[in-house]
Amino acid sequence: MKSASSSEARVRATHPKSAHPIRPIAAAVVAIGLLTGGPAIAEDSPPIAITHARVYVPGNRPPLEDATVVVANGRILSVGPAAKAPASARTIDARGKVVTPGFIDANTDVGVVDVELEPEANDTDVRGGPLTPALRMVDGYNPRSTVVDIARSGGVTSVIVAPRSNLLGGQGAFVDLAGDSVSDAVVRPSLGQYARVDDDTVQTDAGTRSGLWLMLREALDDARFYGAHRGQYDTNASRPLRLSRQGLEALQPVLRGEQPLVITAHRAGDIEAAMRLADDFKLKLVVEGASEAWLVADELAKRKIPVVIDPLENLPARFDRLHARSANATLLADAGVAVVISTFSADEVRLLWQHAGNAVRLGMDHDAAIRAVTEAPADAFGLKGYGRIEPGAVANVVVWSGDPFQTSTHVEHVLVRGRERILETRQTLLLRRYRTVPPVRDGTR
Amino acid sequence: MSLPLRALPAIALILCTCMPQGRRPSASVPQNREPPPAPAASPFAEGEARARTGVEIIESPHGPPVLLRHATVMTAAGRRYDQGFVLMSNGVIAGVGDGEGPDPTAAGGIVVEARGKFVTPGIIDPHSHIGVYPVPDTSAHDDGNELTDPVSAGLRAEHSFWPQDPAIERAVAGGVTTVAVLPGSGNLVGGRGIVMHLLPRRGARAMRFPGAPDLLKMACGENPKRVYGALKRAPTTRMGNVRALREAFLKARRYARDWDEWTAKQRQPPPKERTASGSKEKDSDSKPPDRDLALETLALVLRGEILVEWHCYQADDMLAALQVADEFGFQVRAFHHALEAYKIRDVLTRESVAIATWDDWWGFKMEAYDGIPENAALMTEAGGRAALHSDSAVAIQILNQAAGKAMSAGLAAGVKLTEDDALRWITANPAWVLGIDGQVGTLETGKRADVVVWSDDPFGTYAVAEQVYIDGHLVFDRAHPAAPFSDFELGLRAMPPLGGGPPPLQAPSPDGGAR
Repeated sequence: MKSASSSEARVRATHPKSAHPIRPIAAAVVAIGLLTGGPAIAEDSPPIAITHARVYVPGNRPPLEDATVVVANGRILSVGPAAKAPASARTIDARGKVVTPGFIDANTDVGVVDVELEPEANDTDVRGGPLTPALRMVDGYNPRSTVVDIARSGGVTSVIVAPRSNLLGGQGAFVDLAGDSVSDAVVRPSLGQYARVDDDTVQTDAGTRSGLWLMLREALDDARFYGAHRGQYDTNASRPLRLSRQGLEALQPVLRGEQPLVITAHRAGDIEAAMRLADDFKLKLVVEGASEAWLVADELAKRKIPVVIDPLENLPARFDRLHARSANATLLADAGVAVVISTFSADEVRLLWQHAGNAVRLGMDHDAAIRAVTEAPADAFGLKGYGRIEPGAVANVVVWSGDPFQTSTHVEHVLVRGRERILETRQTLLLRRYRTVPPVRDGTR
Repeated sequence: MSLPLRALPAIALILCTCMPQGRRPSASVPQNREPPPAPAASPFAEGEARARTGVEIIESPHGPPVLLRHATVMTAAGRRYDQGFVLMSNGVIAGVGDGEGPDPTAAGGIVVEARGKFVTPGIIDPHSHIGVYPVPDTSAHDDGNELTDPVSAGLRAEHSFWPQDPAIERAVAGGVTTVAVLPGSGNLVGGRGIVMHLLPRRGARAMRFPGAPDLLKMACGENPKRVYGALKRAPTTRMGNVRALREAFLKARRYARDWDEWTAKQRQPPPKERTASGSKEKDSDSKPPDRDLALETLALVLRGEILVEWHCYQADDMLAALQVADEFGFQVRAFHHALEAYKIRDVLTRESVAIATWDDWWGFKMEAYDGIPENAALMTEAGGRAALHSDSAVAIQILNQAAGKAMSAGLAAGVKLTEDDALRWITANPAWVLGIDGQVGTLETGKRADVVVWSDDPFGTYAVAEQVYIDGHLVFDRAHPAAPFSDFELGLRAMPPLGGGPPPLQAPSPDGGAR
């Protein structure tokens, strides 16, 4: 992850907290983080012990009962029935409650869309042609967007902000839903290159599917040529290349297999075409959208290609997904595919629990659905230290009043990097103002 | 009440009298509005009746009686029976209550053991575009918005409705038995909406809910001004919206007056001296006014014979809309979407205006920015009438979860709500919004047998509809997957079994025996 960590370093260089002296315990935790390859998060957060909870732990293990989770300095220190909290720790009594890793929504517009239908409040409609691989979503990210607080109030602590438009749309960013600055929020400014082969890009970018795949292949071929002939490029001795230099550079980590090519495709045949492309260029692949993925589940499982889906998408909504079925998540999981569940949204990110819960309604194993919004997205995108409650992991933790997927459950506490976040949103303030009508303007913001 | 499966025009006319009469009803919100006195014969009655006559004649004889028993029965009429029964016979509910229920087997009936299951009325979605914006989304299917005239009252959604929309079956599989299919919101007046009973049929008219009144889809706020603003035509502003609407109702008022005057003249015996003085004048008097489809629809709104279903999000837009309704003397049946209803719930309650809203949608457009999940609960607390709607072929499949979420949000805010209140958001209240609350929306003797058997608590995330009955017909049975409703889905690889899920119910079959 060389190039990713170097651009991450550039973003983090402006982080004011990085200049703060790190206390010994924090240093130790950071060391754990570095040892486990996770991001160097050095939040100066006080110790918190969440006690007597049902705690979802990584892997296929059942949740721990009556367990304690201790966090400090942005990391999880310990977890288990016998976990000891430091005397100074604040205690959250979670008897009868459920503790999960903070949910991760793997494909969102959080921070780039405030109001989807207003062009002034929507930074997803990228112009400049079908091929914009150098574009970085992180550069449009707004950590103060109303959507951030509201998404977090639904138990989502991290999201991937994904390019939405263009055949080759650019680089997604991975952010924690916290912080007042971009450098605070951003964990990985570039974690994958996003491509889209669906009925929309067929219409806007090429006119045909085969045309789209041709453009993708030519772009990757140009980038590969460029990577091997940088010297010639610099002296204008290269063959003509369609992409800009920035674009050609952006594709190098993809060609090296350091970043996944994340392809949105729904039709089973398009998913097969994506696998052929990945074979030919030796790419790491993630497939998203994937309404018809169940038709090629065995092949996806064999190649260990993660699939990001919304279980509620069961309609033959376009001609490229006539085989969309409610059972997609279940059939993929049963075949052994790493299933990731996403809302593909901004305003609905806070409902990620419901999207995952509906996979369970339609047959998916409950704990597998928990993993589909925690570990699975972390693993699919190489986000070490995320999506799991284990010592050394980033302390993104949610306390739910009950089963996270139930309509009657409430989010009670949200910790992002070990720090408890206020669950107040613009919506709770509106409720307070209009709890009686005519409204009482009681000095709330 | 025992109605034939499909409405005959005469019945439609009789039932059309159970509609509000103009504006200013009593201040309280009646929970079961009695039919008001029949209005004076409308000059438009004959045309209306003809426009409802069907050519697709449905013969759909009722099967044997069906008894669902040992289930948790939630009536949406104030009662819950933890070990209860529902008896369906001849298309209507013949009994509901505690205990075993009457054994129907002697009369050739069927018993469905529903122990551990939940039984509710069929869900009613008061705002859908299935059939007029069908899937798959193609330009050929783009039939929901006629964006050529901002006041398009002469349109009827029925004439865009594609009964083969694959979304219909998925809605039924979500426990939905009745929907209002409305034109889109690109126009100030988008045209007439229709209430559809989700039985598979070949044509739109045969799916119309018997006796349901027509609806008028109206829209305020962003959409009409955005659509026509882009075309550089009026309206381009909110004030332009209101002007266009007021001008339309001024014309409609004149049109209604012309027809009333002409009708009154036809009833008077011709004055003898005029007859004697010359036949020319008499001929011109006897010629009726020219018919105008748009003005006729608006005139029926002024007469209270078409229910106004008005797309409005913001509190200020709803108040402006009510000013127009007040000026012209018509009643708004419900504001749809109405995300800011909670800000004016006192006014809406006083004016007897219901809302049809989402559980928690917000923020996807500017006028949705202030949506909060407590909207329906706060409206209910104020004594108003709230319904939940989908406006989406996905959300329509999980309206039961929407009720569960909205109830949960309301309870957390300290609103005193019962499960019955929440169930009414998706059954009895939308039935009222659509003027069919006398026929469906609760599990009560005499109502149409639109009934859902759920695997689990229907307010929870994991409940699936196991059986869905419409007029007593078993139209969806999860345990026995059938060929798709839609011709469009024939030949596609079959839907795989869902996996997991509860053990199947013993279901009645058309030949009368258990399968």
